[in-house]
Amino acid sequence: MTMLETPPAEVPLNLVKPRRPDRTPNRVGQVLRYIALGILISAVLLPFYWMVSSSLKMNNDVFTIPVKWYPDTVVWGNYVDIWQKSEMTTWLRNTLLLSVVVTFLQVLTGSFAAYGFAKVRFPGRDVLFLAYIATIAVPWQSYMIPQFVLFSKLKLTDTFWSIIALQAFSAFGVFLMKQFYETIPDDLIDAARIDGMNEYGIYRRIMLPLSVPALASLTLLTLVNTWNDYLGPLLYLRSPGLRTIQLGLKTFVSTYNAEYALIMTGSVLSVLPIAVIFLLGQRYFVEGIATTGLKG
Amino acid sequence: MATMPVARRSRGRLMSRNTVVGWSFLLPNFIGFGIFTFIPVGLLFYYAFTDWNVFTGAEWSGLDNFSRLLNDSSFWTALRNTFYYSIFHIPLTLGASLALALLLNRKMRGVAFFRTAAFFPYITSIVAIAQVWNMLFSPSFGPINEIIRAFGVDNPPGWTSSANWSMPAVIIVGVWREMGYYMLLILAGLQTVPAQLYEAARVDGANAWWQFRAVTLPGLRPTMFFVTVMLTIGSLKVFDLILVMTDGGPGQSTLVLTQYIYQKGFKEQEFGYASAISIVLFGICLAVTVVQFLVNKRKDA
Amino acid sequence: MKRSIAVLGAAAAISLVLAGCGGSSGSSEAASGPITLTLAGWSLSTTPEFKTLADGFHATNPDVTIQVKEYDATNYDTQMIADLAAGKGPDLYVQKNLKNFFTYQDGKQLLDVSDVAKGLPDTVKGLSNYQIDGKTYAIPYRGDSWVMYYNQALFDKAGVDYPDGSWTWDDYVSTSKELTTKLKAAKSKALGDYQHNWQSTTQGFALAQTPGADMQSGNFSYLKPYYERSLALQKAGAQVKIGDVTTNSLTYQAQFGKQQAAMMPMGTWYIATLLAQQTSGEADQFKWGIAPAPQFDATTAGTSKTPVTFGDPTALGINPKLDKSKVTAAKAFLGYIAGKQGAESLAKIGITPADSEAVADTFFELKGIPTDDLSKFAFATHDTKPENPVAKSTPALQNLLNELHTSVLSGSVTVDAAITKAQDQAKSQGLTK
Repeated sequence: MTMLETPPAEVPLNLVKPRRPDRTPNRVGQVLRYIALGILISAVLLPFYWMVSSSLKMNNDVFTIPVKWYPDTVVWGNYVDIWQKSEMTTWLRNTLLLSVVVTFLQVLTGSFAAYGFAKVRFPGRDVLFLAYIATIAVPWQSYMIPQFVLFSKLKLTDTFWSIIALQAFSAFGVFLMKQFYETIPDDLIDAARIDGMNEYGIYRRIMLPLSVPALASLTLLTLVNTWNDYLGPLLYLRSPGLRTIQLGLKTFVSTYNAEYALIMTGSVLSVLPIAVIFLLGQRYFVEGIATTGLKG
Repeated sequence: MATMPVARRSRGRLMSRNTVVGWSFLLPNFIGFGIFTFIPVGLLFYYAFTDWNVFTGAEWSGLDNFSRLLNDSSFWTALRNTFYYSIFHIPLTLGASLALALLLNRKMRGVAFFRTAAFFPYITSIVAIAQVWNMLFSPSFGPINEIIRAFGVDNPPGWTSSANWSMPAVIIVGVWREMGYYMLLILAGLQTVPAQLYEAARVDGANAWWQFRAVTLPGLRPTMFFVTVMLTIGSLKVFDLILVMTDGGPGQSTLVLTQYIYQKGFKEQEFGYASAISIVLFGICLAVTVVQFLVNKRKDA
Repeated sequence: MKRSIAVLGAAAAISLVLAGCGGSSGSSEAASGPITLTLAGWSLSTTPEFKTLADGFHATNPDVTIQVKEYDATNYDTQMIADLAAGKGPDLYVQKNLKNFFTYQDGKQLLDVSDVAKGLPDTVKGLSNYQIDGKTYAIPYRGDSWVMYYNQALFDKAGVDYPDGSWTWDDYVSTSKELTTKLKAAKSKALGDYQHNWQSTTQGFALAQTPGADMQSGNFSYLKPYYERSLALQKAGAQVKIGDVTTNSLTYQAQFGKQQAAMMPMGTWYIATLLAQQTSGEADQFKWGIAPAPQFDATTAGTSKTPVTFGDPTALGINPKLDKSKVTAAKAFLGYIAGKQGAESLAKIGITPADSEAVADTFFELKGIPTDDLSKFAFATHDTKPENPVAKSTPALQNLLNELHTSVLSGSVTVDAAITKAQDQAKSQGLTK
């Protein structure tokens, strides 16, 4: 943000300007594009439609032969019942808390480490980076028992810290941010170095503002992954008061094992917060650079 | 000649200063990562060479687990299925997400809605996904087969309830679910493509396809590299989707390696053997990733 | 950036402090005075049995409080194995079925409770299943077994006679076909029968009823007639195809409760569910009854004989890591749940206790339960075999046989080919002789 006041000399800032196509609009092409998108998107949204319509049905009408695609009579009761029959509020609050903390830590430490991997040269860097990537290749199911024993020795099990420790330091964020930092020209950083800016300053005042789309992507993906994580909380959390939304929904499924209408109601409610966040935040992925004010 | 030692010394000092600075950047992440991921993964490599059932102590068994793998037909089936899934899932997802990203990387009415919609499959709960898609695929009552019948096919596929069609069905759902996720990453990557390169290309009279080949693709390389690596590892490690959709069935037609690992470990309490299978999967992922790294490096040069 | 490191350090420090306070209370309580035991349970709001037993015991032993710790119902064993491996398991935990009993016992995660077993009446069923080398490692308190539910209203509509307890599986097949035809003629959409897509629905009966059937022998041919009958029912349209059961996620509760099928083999746990669903309106109101499961042949069929069926007894065991001072109390609790008092309290909430004969009267006082003679006979009289043998190879064999189950019923391979393949695989993995 402070970039605006003191742009380092002779840095081709406009190099990183977003693509702004301004072709003459082609009416027919435009219409065809909308039709194609419309068909595609309705196919994509079909399962979500089914979730919503199921949540408005009587329970035993959810699975029938043949399938009923819309409710005979709309039953809003499920949306009232679920708050009474489940601890939805607790689950949502827990998940929100966890998602925010995990995302914050992941974005912060991930982008920080990525700068070290992408722009600072030191011995052993590439080997260490490969080790990071390598762990992505190990399926979690195979080391979750050793990890569980370790966590319980550290007395982390059945606390939120276990989920935070599990999710906040993943190699994914480091990898993602490193790839984006590599697209930022070294000239820019060298110029800043010559200007006497130290590495931490470069990270904070050049890299962070320039990588807003990547940061936004990482934030959103981490948020979604933490929000939707099921196996982690399943293994680590036992106390009902700590349940996350996925875990809560799953226990709800086992408890009311055949109440599919209610389960679908819960699923709809669990998706909504993320959908709203996405809708509000999506422009940052694409307009991120413009909004930080780098008009060149 | 006289300046050489000075230069070397100063380079050495720069190096060690860089090491300190570099590590200071890595440390916050590395502390957490090292303790919570590296150590357990290291233990996994030890358990792979033991006979371990969780409760009794792990007994060293050398290469027994690995020689047992050679004769385990279920393992080979799982390996084959893992490749089957990956070979189709990777290019299809890559193509679909790239197409979506290019379509939606422009100012147009309703673009926010379309982007959100494309991302929806990824945020929808996997339980709901499995149920809806299974219904769509229902052999006698599902709408997919109704449409196919309408086109005059008398014997439409049995999809998830048939051994031959279950894998294609799972691949379709896999692509559908993940294309929005990778679209998002590619969209973010597209923003780093310098705009004046397009202008230059247009001045040179390049058509849309040529612009795409000469400007977009090279500019997207770091992003595409990331996407390809993640997609490859993700496909080789596919787990939850298959677990909820077919649970490996019918028979062993959709049994994949991760699922076999889970089955051997948590259902049959053979954690030593399960660890050995993980090592194989790990080796495959690593080999593919290293190849991708090398190819990427060569293009860089 | 120093700030972020400081934040992280603080987070780590806090986590240690928090973990220190919030961790388990430890097991160093005094020998005398009030004792608290932890008991593993699942789905507490709809599975009242744990609280019923805990409260009942506390009422007679005010010094001992049983605290129920909730686990996930479907991932119970995964969570339990993780907890026990980390040394954090509860004092008392349930053996949901016999499949994993060997794992826990072999892993030395169960205390020898032979002295409790000695004090129990002979009518407690399933005790021998939890004995290894003459020692008992868990005490059964629930004893569900498979019976056949039938919808009397649909039988009436089709004009078919109710089952009389003398059926073999061939009678079941022919009646199902007859019902389907006649129900269709009577303009009903219901089918003759519904077999849920679990592997036990077919394999449990085959193993329990076929003379000489032995999973570990490596000869799975005993499964063949059972699969041929299921396939015949699917082909005749008397039963929903397995592909539609899985793709449409059909639930057995809705299939029988919403009168989609006239007959259904299922465990006795469904009695309590069906009663509750009929009260709540989840299931239709109709008259139903239970009959003994159809038999392999006539030698065990009929109300003058003892029909053979299957079902795993649910048992409770003690975690050996339990504090020494609590062992007596824990054993007393095991004695209570398997004894008459425990059985009575379970019967009152519609659960079949291990000692079902002792409480049949209490059970049939439940509101809405069918009280005809055949239902009472089916509930009280049966030779219930375990669903699976207790052995190290059982879980692996179960997985192989499940693959056989889905491939045969989906019509992907013939019964013979699937059986041969499963036998070869079992042999190559060293699971069978």
